[in-house]
Amino acid sequence: MTGPGGPATPRGPGEVRYETTVVAVGEMVEEFRGQGVMILFGEQAPEELWEFSVRHRPGTVEGGPAPGDVVEVDGVRLPVLAVGAVVEDNLLRLGHLDLKADGRTDPALPGDVCVPASELPAPRPGSVIRVLRPTKGEAP
Amino acid sequence: MAEYRSVKIKKGKGGWGGPLTVRPTAARPLVYSVTGGGIHPVAQRIADLTGGEAFDGFKSSAPFDKIAVAVIDCGGTARVGVYPMKKVLTVDVHATSPSGPLAMFITEDLFVSGVGTDDVQPA
Repeated sequence: MTGPGGPATPRGPGEVRYETTVVAVGEMVEEFRGQGVMILFGEQAPEELWEFSVRHRPGTVEGGPAPGDVVEVDGVRLPVLAVGAVVEDNLLRLGHLDLKADGRTDPALPGDVCVPASELPAPRPGSVIRVLRPTKGEAP
Repeated sequence: MAEYRSVKIKKGKGGWGGPLTVRPTAARPLVYSVTGGGIHPVAQRIADLTGGEAFDGFKSSAPFDKIAVAVIDCGGTARVGVYPMKKVLTVDVHATSPSGPLAMFITEDLFVSGVGTDDVQPA
């Protein structure tokens, strides 16, 4: 509930930490998806990274994900279970994110963002990927 | 005519692989920093000691056959494999071990990790 003069309680997605639009999907992205891995890079990434990367153009850049946040790909919501130590740095500087559908709660690698072990969505050019921080008390 | 010298690069704390000996040549002069935020200090040190040319991979791209060594700050999945896959010597400033879809390409003779500037010494 909102107190008198207080800010309206955000509804729906909560805080948008990061929002970006996919510009290109590399040839090996589907193969990586079969192994539960999705790799994002900003569109300025060097060419040798394109074949296995989902390249994108960020709009909102507030920060990286934390456990309890949600990574959303075209409306498909993936709860974030664990986040490695270099994830935020990678995302903010390079637009780089390693999404792993491995169900881990301790990241195997410092660049990993772990989500439940299930099939990852298949992004296409024009897809929207967001990192959302649910409002307190709201189910992720 | 540029003169190039060798450096030995060993793994740092918690690192894996190597040691690598790197010596640029006129045909492969580049110390290729794929780290974002400019040339990484480890890449700069390799360039300073070898006489190679520090090159920012996020500013422009270079052909693989011009790269003497690639310096990455990869958390373990993508960049960690792509340069070894192309048989390019690779130095990761993070302490990663082979993993992920490209793990099969990451070998001790091509890759060393956990590297800080003190791990790069004249050979």
